[in-house]
Amino acid sequence: MLVRRNADDIREIRPRAALAALMVVCAMCVLVVRLYQLQIARGDDYYQQSISNYRKSLFVPADRGLLKDRNGQVLVENRPSYDIFLTPAFCRGKEKEEVMAKLAADLKMEKEDIDRMHRDYDRAVQSKDKLERFKPYLIELDIPRDQVDVIESHRVELTCVDLIPSPHRSYRAGDALGHVLGYMSEVTPEEMETHAEYRRGQTIGRRGLERRWEKELRGEDGKETIAVDAQGRKLDESVNQLLIPEDERYIPATPGDNLVLSLDQRLEELADKSFPGRAGAVVVMEAKTGFILALVSRPSFDANKMSQRITRAELQALNEDPLKPLINRVMNENYHPGSTFKPVLALAGLERGAIAPQSSIYCNGGYTVGNHRWRCDKPSGHGALDVKRALQYSCDVFFYALGDRLGLDPIAQMAHSLGFGQPTGLDLGKEIPGIIPDTDYVVKVFGSYSKGHAINAAIGQGEINVTPLQEAVAYAAIGNGGTVYRPQIVKRVEAYDGHTLQEFAPIVERQLEFKPTTIQSVRAGLVAVVNEPGGTAYATRLADIKFAGKTGTAQVVTLGTKQKLNPETQAYLSRDHAWFTAYAPAVDPEIVVVVINEHGGWGATGAAPTASKIIAGYFQFKAQDAANRLASDIADAGVTMPAHGGVERPLPPRENEQLPPEEILPPPIDPSPADAGPLVPHLN
Amino acid sequence: MAALSTEKKLNDLHWPLVATTLLICTLGVWNLASATHNSGNALWTAQLYAMLAGFVLIGLTLLVDYRWLQTLAWPAYASVVALLVGVALVGKSSHGAKRWLQLGHIQIQPSEFLKLALILVLARWFSRDETGAREGHYRLTDLFWPFLVILIPVALVKQQPDLSTAVVSLFISMTMILFAKVRLRDLFMLAGSAAAIAFVVWQKFLKPFQKDRILTFINPEAYAKTQGYHAIQSQIAIGSGQLRGKGWGEGTQNQLRFLPEQHTDFIFSVWAEEHGFILSILVVLLYMFVALAALDIAANAREKFGSFLCVGVAGLFFWHAFINIGMVTGVLPVMGVPLPLFSYGGSSVIVDLLGIGLLLNVSLRRFMF
Repeated sequence: MLVRRNADDIREIRPRAALAALMVVCAMCVLVVRLYQLQIARGDDYYQQSISNYRKSLFVPADRGLLKDRNGQVLVENRPSYDIFLTPAFCRGKEKEEVMAKLAADLKMEKEDIDRMHRDYDRAVQSKDKLERFKPYLIELDIPRDQVDVIESHRVELTCVDLIPSPHRSYRAGDALGHVLGYMSEVTPEEMETHAEYRRGQTIGRRGLERRWEKELRGEDGKETIAVDAQGRKLDESVNQLLIPEDERYIPATPGDNLVLSLDQRLEELADKSFPGRAGAVVVMEAKTGFILALVSRPSFDANKMSQRITRAELQALNEDPLKPLINRVMNENYHPGSTFKPVLALAGLERGAIAPQSSIYCNGGYTVGNHRWRCDKPSGHGALDVKRALQYSCDVFFYALGDRLGLDPIAQMAHSLGFGQPTGLDLGKEIPGIIPDTDYVVKVFGSYSKGHAINAAIGQGEINVTPLQEAVAYAAIGNGGTVYRPQIVKRVEAYDGHTLQEFAPIVERQLEFKPTTIQSVRAGLVAVVNEPGGTAYATRLADIKFAGKTGTAQVVTLGTKQKLNPETQAYLSRDHAWFTAYAPAVDPEIVVVVINEHGGWGATGAAPTASKIIAGYFQFKAQDAANRLASDIADAGVTMPAHGGVERPLPPRENEQLPPEEILPPPIDPSPADAGPLVPHLN
Repeated sequence: MAALSTEKKLNDLHWPLVATTLLICTLGVWNLASATHNSGNALWTAQLYAMLAGFVLIGLTLLVDYRWLQTLAWPAYASVVALLVGVALVGKSSHGAKRWLQLGHIQIQPSEFLKLALILVLARWFSRDETGAREGHYRLTDLFWPFLVILIPVALVKQQPDLSTAVVSLFISMTMILFAKVRLRDLFMLAGSAAAIAFVVWQKFLKPFQKDRILTFINPEAYAKTQGYHAIQSQIAIGSGQLRGKGWGEGTQNQLRFLPEQHTDFIFSVWAEEHGFILSILVVLLYMFVALAALDIAANAREKFGSFLCVGVAGLFFWHAFINIGMVTGVLPVMGVPLPLFSYGGSSVIVDLLGIGLLLNVSLRRFMF
């Protein structure tokens, strides 16, 4: 087999080979140009991208600040716990199904949570932002200890799942302080847009102090940067050190600031325990500073529950509860003040000269204007009464007549000056102003003004609506001689190491100038309510602490038929509200106590006993504190004296120096232990 | 042939081509060692053995006049087709495709050998067929038999599915056909019908992942982290090499496995990341040199069979290098085309070195007759 040589054929190959060679060179030039583009023109850019490929930032969560009561008792702290996250990019297809089934079983997830887990996964995978699937998303917050163990034991199968240690809030008071402290919940996507420092799965304060002081409590997250491979696995420490510059490896978190509240945890507990009603509120406030000592709003919610593991059904139950547990009754519920409003009338009447301290009005059991008769509590009538007795017996007729004499506007003016009809300014979120009607208001709402409006207002009914907190502010002003304070609940902001960053002084809203006889008469009436036979709260007097107060029984407007309720609840809801507002001691008061027991019936029986217990408790705690302080002073002196190298240091002056500065209020009862001692045994 | 002294033979050997081949092989193994040194799997030694085997084969084939290969063309073709049928029947699956035959300890990939078989068969056909010489040119109808010869095995490869190898085999074959006398007018017709076929193929035959690859190429950003993830990570690797590279074994894209298939299809990205722009260009130039040398040998061959063989080998090197580097740099869509003598794969190494052997053989015997 011989191949014929064909020189012509071969020659024809040559131009084609040359052409092909040219094309080869051109094609290779394209590659060279492209390499230039990638490596030289955009090289820096790609270099940075190759670095960010293997760098993974892990947040080091900052410890949230603590909330303490005035004595340093911790009310809210952080407890170690774990959140569980899933990174969609690292489990796909069949693996994803297996992992999710396992998670659902391990975490005993509910159907809706399982659906949410799948939805979030799909959203991440389908997102236009292709990095989205590399972001871990939250499966469940705050896994219980036993489930953490189960997840840990399934570590190998659950490759794309991360258990992230993240301290969760622990509210020691449980239900009692829900409204005041607030709670935490997962930050929403909208919030993340406006607050770049939040990342998915983190929590943010809701309601109350957690929300108001979010910025201070939160602290600043730290950051750990590690090197990972393409599967997101952490590399060996040696490689890690090679790839991540030392100063970027670990940036510690800065813990949040602590809040020191004016609350006294013992008093809070006592107030909560001694409040008998299903619904209502208690306010205990320092009469001469406006600092809150205790707040109860019942029913409340468990901040622990609200902060993480609340089910949809539980949340729905809270929202639909006819007693509205989510409302902070202390400052966000309107109540008729009932008879607790009578001192306001008395003040207005005395100041305006509508009555004199000694002038009396005759009660025959009713008061008639035109063809309408307003009845007194005591149908047979109280007879002739001066203002002191009128308050003591809570005679309606006296105040009908006084209201009629005054007219609506002077009453409204006095009420306004005492802080009614406007928010008190407690820095704890939304606060309603209440309603103090004047003639303008009445004309606007009813078309015309009639005497009846003033007469109704005189006993705290009709259009008048107040909040328990306003009552506290007003009674504090009466007790302290006319200073209207803005209530406050935060005494101090401390850094995590304990040094004070910010300290809050009492804020005076207004100073009212009353004629001495005016204030004396009203106070005499309030003292008589508790301490003189026939006083409406005489049964709740204390043997050793003389306090003043006023009962109130507010009629309840019959509910509409909007809600279908069982007869028992219906009956409950139609009972009157019981009020009691007090300050103690009667002379130079330290505290004011407001109790409203919704549908609690008579103020004297439904509210006054609670206030009485709180007052007793307050002085008991105070005596205890004084005794303890003396003991520790003596101990201190005993220990420190040798250390200071001598006995010449005089003991008594030092003791005085040591009197803690928190005693801003000069106590009427000398805090020296000698006096405090006898107080204790008398209390039960 | 027997008259040829060993000394004469050695003098006539195409030494620049030998040197270039050795250089490519050396760089390739060195680079492969970096690409695999984290896997705990010393693949580069296996690659080295394949290369040594390839060089032995080159030595052996040099002893034989390449023209004798004409007699081997059809048997070689037939056995490759038989192997491809064997793959379809009892092949080993990997990554969802049946491409390998297990023979004892070694796996072979018959589709690689197809390229060589096609080169042999087409070179034989065009060197013997007189139609072109007689008519002055080939009509398309005259090319019925070559097309049939090409399309049967290519269809088998495509079915594996291994579109990339099918396409490259087609490109190599087409390159050889273009060197036969085909008129420009016919070329356009061919291009037109190819476009029509491409349309039909797209509509009817392409698998979703194959369509995705092409779509990804058109708009890689839209497919980032899924399909385009490979393309983008490869470009990051190459770009981040910058002028001087990160150093052998220091490429983070490579070592931390952000590069997919870094020891096979994306091997060039490893090189570019670790050695930078200048040495990347060196590699491009080395492949260009091989292709140009092949064309030069083709142009200077004494007879048509040798000439067409060399054109085929030029096509083999050029298309593999161009498509592979074009793909990893983002100029072309992602295709599973190995970079000759760089990508890991014994079958491919043997075929490439046999190709070099053919070039050396043709070049060696250019003065002999």
